Amino acid sequence: MNITRMHGAGGTVMQKLIKETILGNLENTKIEGGIGLESLDDASTIPIGDKEIVFTVDGHTVHPIFFPGGDIGRISVCGTVNDLSVMGAKPVALSLSIVLPEGFDIEKLDKIMKSINEACKEAGVAIITGDTKVSNVDDIIISSAGIGIVDSGKAVRDCGMKEGDVIIVSGNIGEHGLTILLSREGFEFESELKSDVAPVNGLVQSVLNAGFEINAMKDPTRGGLADSLNEMAEKSDLGILIHEDKIPISDEVQAIGEALGIDPLTVANEGKVVMSVKEKDSEKILEILTAHPLGKNAKIIGNVTSEHKGVLMETIVGKRIVDTPMGDPIPRVC
Amino acid sequence: MTAKRIDVKGIVQGVGFRPFIYRIAKKNDLKGYVKNMGNYVEIVVSGKLNNIDAFLSDLKLEKPPLSKIDNISIEDIDENENLNEIYGDFTIKLSDTSKIEEEGTIPPDISICDECLKEIMDKKDRRSDYAFTACTNCGPRFTVIEKLPYDRENTSMKDFPLCKSCIEEYKNPEDRRFHAQATCCDICGPELFITDDSGKIISNDICDAVKFLEEGKILAIKGIGGTHLVCSINSDKSVLELRKRLNRPTQAFAIMSREEYLDLFSKIDENELNMIKSPKKPIVALKKNELYEKYFSEHVSNLNTIGVMLPYSGLHYLLFENTDQIAYIMTSANLPGLPMSIDNEQILEKLENIADYFLLHNRKIVNRCDDSVLKEINGKMELLRRSRGFAPEPVEVNYKKIKNNSKNILALGPELNSVACLVKNNKFYLTQYIGNTGKYETFNYLKDAVENLIKITNTNKIDAIVCDLHPSFNSTIFAKELGEKYKIPVTQVQHHESHCHSLMGDSDIFENNVTIAIDGLGYGNDGNIWGGEVFLFKNGKIERAGHLEEQIQPGADLASKYPLRMLASILNKANLNVSEIIKGYNYFSEKELKLILFQLEKNINVSKTTSTGRVLDSISALVSLCFERTYDGEPSIRLEALANEYTGEISEIEKLVEESIKIENNILDTTSLVVKSLEMLNNNEKIEKIAYFIHIAIADGLSKIAIETAKKQSIEYIGITGGVSYNKIISERIVENIKKESLKPLIHKRIPNGDGGISFGQAIGYLLNSN
Ligand SMILES: [Fe+3]
Ligand SMILES: [Mg+2]
Ligand SMILES: [Zn+2]
Ligand SMILES: [Zn+2]
Repeated sequence: MNITRMHGAGGTVMQKLIKETILGNLENTKIEGGIGLESLDDASTIPIGDKEIVFTVDGHTVHPIFFPGGDIGRISVCGTVNDLSVMGAKPVALSLSIVLPEGFDIEKLDKIMKSINEACKEAGVAIITGDTKVSNVDDIIISSAGIGIVDSGKAVRDCGMKEGDVIIVSGNIGEHGLTILLSREGFEFESELKSDVAPVNGLVQSVLNAGFEINAMKDPTRGGLADSLNEMAEKSDLGILIHEDKIPISDEVQAIGEALGIDPLTVANEGKVVMSVKEKDSEKILEILTAHPLGKNAKIIGNVTSEHKGVLMETIVGKRIVDTPMGDPIPRVC
Repeated sequence: MTAKRIDVKGIVQGVGFRPFIYRIAKKNDLKGYVKNMGNYVEIVVSGKLNNIDAFLSDLKLEKPPLSKIDNISIEDIDENENLNEIYGDFTIKLSDTSKIEEEGTIPPDISICDECLKEIMDKKDRRSDYAFTACTNCGPRFTVIEKLPYDRENTSMKDFPLCKSCIEEYKNPEDRRFHAQATCCDICGPELFITDDSGKIISNDICDAVKFLEEGKILAIKGIGGTHLVCSINSDKSVLELRKRLNRPTQAFAIMSREEYLDLFSKIDENELNMIKSPKKPIVALKKNELYEKYFSEHVSNLNTIGVMLPYSGLHYLLFENTDQIAYIMTSANLPGLPMSIDNEQILEKLENIADYFLLHNRKIVNRCDDSVLKEINGKMELLRRSRGFAPEPVEVNYKKIKNNSKNILALGPELNSVACLVKNNKFYLTQYIGNTGKYETFNYLKDAVENLIKITNTNKIDAIVCDLHPSFNSTIFAKELGEKYKIPVTQVQHHESHCHSLMGDSDIFENNVTIAIDGLGYGNDGNIWGGEVFLFKNGKIERAGHLEEQIQPGADLASKYPLRMLASILNKANLNVSEIIKGYNYFSEKELKLILFQLEKNINVSKTTSTGRVLDSISALVSLCFERTYDGEPSIRLEALANEYTGEISEIEKLVEESIKIENNILDTTSLVVKSLEMLNNNEKIEKIAYFIHIAIADGLSKIAIETAKKQSIEYIGITGGVSYNKIISERIVENIKKESLKPLIHKRIPNGDGGISFGQAIGYLLNSN
């Protein structure tokens, strides 16, 4: 069997590839006492003294490389920073590996590098190592590894939800994915729709610095909120009930999603976090989030329960099962 | 003296079987006993041989009307045992469940019998006006049973200990109520009460319910196996109010009326009358007559048919007492797509904003069971919904490859109109109607119904699970979970192959055949969406032999919801000026339309579909009939009603159709049919004519493919199945075409044509392909 686009779409097809072909062949995947690759969390950790080094890597190919709200450079920084951030870590430094196709416009590269620089300043991280190659690829590929630091045992896992927790999402969902889709296919915009790509470390740290605990956290990138919630529910062996009317979605995303038949819940975000927190802390955490510029649309969207497994959504016409997206939706209504 | 042991299998519980045995044993001067064994009845008789013979002949010829004997096994008992002394008399022994083997059958609910009804209506009878009157010949069965054997303590009647008079009847073998598990009276049985929407009891008198209905109020009425929302049909105000509260703008309501009123508003033929009056008391879709409008309005049903049922319990008859109402709206009490509410608290909570008053009672409904629905097509009563009165009675298949099945198979069906099926030996137990399992609540109902079915059939192991090929149906995911949990193999079967298998199993004909399987949607073997298929079944193998042209379905389910999207897609394929044409309908905003066209151009979130439903939908939008589907199949159901209004020459349409049909490689070109329809519209042809045209074109096109395939293979059977085969115009036209060629049509009789028959077909398909 050959790789198809579905294998990179973040759904169950991709999960299977990762579990069977990739993880299945690796034996050394963990540092004693740390979080290893097999837990498929957003990042892994290496214990050192009373701290843990948090480590992650992300490869980026985006079409188009420039889009409303950002570009591939900004995504490369934010993607890595955000994976560290949702582990509860303070991002410190990144690597930068660029693969360029022959004929790539240097002016574009210049623009991308400026954007990388801008994003690093926003996130407060340094790029301390790098590599550049020219190769037979279709378009520019940027990989970036990152390290962060967290106090020993304080890393936030995606499997740590507790029954009775409240689920908070930090802002409007679906903006990045729809922006990319429309600009890739060359849709003429008459809208303010733009990618939400941003580093969320400041937002997350504002909650942690205020002394609150976050039981579980993810950045809902590929597969969107639906994917992240399902992963958190499955890994925590609990269920999540969310409420359709509480999910923050801009009118624009709602309208475009409705016109194309695309569920915003399944669409990628690049500047959002979803967290599971104790109910008693939830209102205060929401206050902190909404005070931050990246969290002004944050909402409590549901809660964690042991009454069912998986993710359910209360709608005006009853409950709906929110599945892990499998790529493009397949019609199911007669 | 001779003695014999006789075991009788079949529907022999809850149908007055034991008292019947008692009577014929007495009549023939025999001694011994009869005993309920949980799933069969054991009889021991001792006496003269000729008396035993007479007894056996009575057993076969005079058995109670509701019983069904599948098998009688007779065995001699050693003469040395002095049975006459052991059995000094003939007795009815207590149930014995120690020997329960796997097979068992519970009868479906049965409508109130004439004798019970007479008692209710008799002011002097002790059961006068008592809503729950029942006897061995009538009343609830399936809906009150928790487990086998069918004894009172295993039903929800256990909450109502019998009073002295009722015990006397219950214990008297000569009485109609001997061992009638659901018997009761107003002293000992369930009680009715009326509450307001806060749950406060305001009356115990059913007359008040009738009064509220006459005043135009909406009532939730908990009946025998389910709950109805009920209102008067006399004023549109109540009907429209109910529509508003249910958010059900157009879907036709079923009504309940009395037999003597049917002729007032419907054209009912003998087939329909027999069905509507049968003890199953289903809803039958009757043709409206010319006077319909005099009694009810379009707001009850905007189709050319109306779904009607007769009262089936004492409670219902009492609603027609002391009133001049000739019918009530009687629709299942649920929000669209969700299961009907059945327990009092839930009824009050879920229907709080829908009903004004609640007519409830204190008996638990164990198994929810929606009303069954039938429609006459091709002169046969076909099942749109097989539920109350039918479930859980099994369907038997006697084809040799299936007859000897020894595996217990669980088939979980598709997603919409879901029904599951459990197979044991050659018996197929279909659950009651479940509904849209895409909804979580309904999905849970499926799980419960399967669990109950397993319980009431005494099943203790499942050997195989079958489900649909669609990867994201909840039933598919459930099947895989079950398979993993219990280490049972799971087989996925293609949706339309299941439709074909279902038709073969239904007719018990497994000869080589060609079958037309038409519906809205099923996941195809090629990963595309199918729904306008012609299959060839030859030498035990099934394959796709032809189909409708592939069209693009833009926006997945949105294209089913908004039929104008399908029209845009098909016209786009025809390279017409879609933007201008669709703009003319003034339905989509400019931006939305732009996005749809963009989606079609760039193939964003689109699927390929050969669905018949989507083509009919596109015409429904083309003629401005339906722009939004508010219930399953709405655009095409209303298009059929419109086509029925066509009064012109059929030959004219036939000629048009013949010119327009293009078939290549057994693929019917649907783009040109839609383009032709657009041309007709532009030429100011009547929309009834366009509607009729597309029906005949699809019917003739598919017939042509099927007939040619059959002839090439020297096959004599051509079947028709799938949800679109409920379309009378298409179905009857295809059958006519088949007969014209002297071929033999196969149509459904026992199993729903639509997705309610899929689980049955899945199981048949599994059995055909195993071993
Ligand atoms: Fe179907
Ligand atoms: Mg990541
Ligand atoms: Zn009766
Ligand atoms: Zn009584």
